Amino acid sequence: MQTLCVVGDDASAVADALATRIAETYEGRVATVDYGDAVDNVAVDEGDPTDADGRFSLTSKGQWVGRGDDRSLVDLLDSLAPDYEYAVVAGTSHHRLPTVVVGDSDPEPANVVAEAPTADAVDIAALATRVDDFEPHVTLETLIDRAEASPLAERSGAIATFTGRVRIKDSPEDDRTEHLAFEKYEGVADERMAAISDDLTDREGVFEVLMHHRVGVMGPGEDIVFVVVLAGHREEAFQTVEDGINRLKDEVPIFKKETTEADEFWLHERGG
Amino acid sequence: MRWKLFADLAERAGDDEINVSVDDSEPTAGDALDALLAEYPQLADRVFTADGDLESHLNLLRNGENVSDTGLATPVSDDDELALFPPVSGG
Repeated sequence: MQTLCVVGDDASAVADALATRIAETYEGRVATVDYGDAVDNVAVDEGDPTDADGRFSLTSKGQWVGRGDDRSLVDLLDSLAPDYEYAVVAGTSHHRLPTVVVGDSDPEPANVVAEAPTADAVDIAALATRVDDFEPHVTLETLIDRAEASPLAERSGAIATFTGRVRIKDSPEDDRTEHLAFEKYEGVADERMAAISDDLTDREGVFEVLMHHRVGVMGPGEDIVFVVVLAGHREEAFQTVEDGINRLKDEVPIFKKETTEADEFWLHERGG
Repeated sequence: MRWKLFADLAERAGDDEINVSVDDSEPTAGDALDALLAEYPQLADRVFTADGDLESHLNLLRNGENVSDTGLATPVSDDDELALFPPVSGG
């Protein structure tokens, strides 16, 4: 899912215009997320008070509205990713996501892809043409869906997955990791991951191998990398998912910088 | 030719994409590296050992292919993309 955040003055108007333009230009489904202190009442009628923590309304045609009190921005985007090709978020950003800044934004987002002094000055058409070039928001669920769509899926009795995440400390006395930042060799990293997937897919009983490594800044507990294997049986699924992540870590030009409470360093400088 | 630098190499240079030209009819990766270091001398002690060899843990790529075997003797041409980076650390 291609995700774009808009922050600053009139973020909602700019996000709406962008979402409209993207929907007109591309075939994929578009979601908008309005972020703020109050939930838009269009979500679900207040109705009678209940003790339920989540409240949903669903029709036989699949139309639905919902409201609840348990989601972060990343949770919400993760849940949208399998079902939408585009998401435009108004009113907040996240350090990894491509962000448009209108007027001033404090703090300045980490991944600014466009800036304009006013809403009128944002070149909506130009941004919409670039949206497919931004780093996509890929989740484990997205990759599992893709694996299950394999033409060989009917011969598969196993999916094994690996998720790498930001470890806060390796042992109890370690300094806490505040965040990790990853950069990759654009183009070459994807070629090498594709080559590893091709190699592993040649194995008997292995039908699909999908991998994705996120780039940018990631906080404690956030997901970094996914490997998904669709296979005939669990033995080759487990073996291949392990070999997949090992080869990714050995062969793909991606570089990790760690910031702890006390220090900042590139991982290759610590032999880890 | 164009150099791409990553991780601490890019930080040290203050740049991650650098175009250089080499005035030689049969240029090598070594010539291209000399041209890079002429502009960014702060990289020299990071890239070379005390003996003047390329640091063995650095990866040298030409158009996405690892050329560490032929190293600085690798022939290069004007439209090549060369890359220099430390051991990878994804995951």
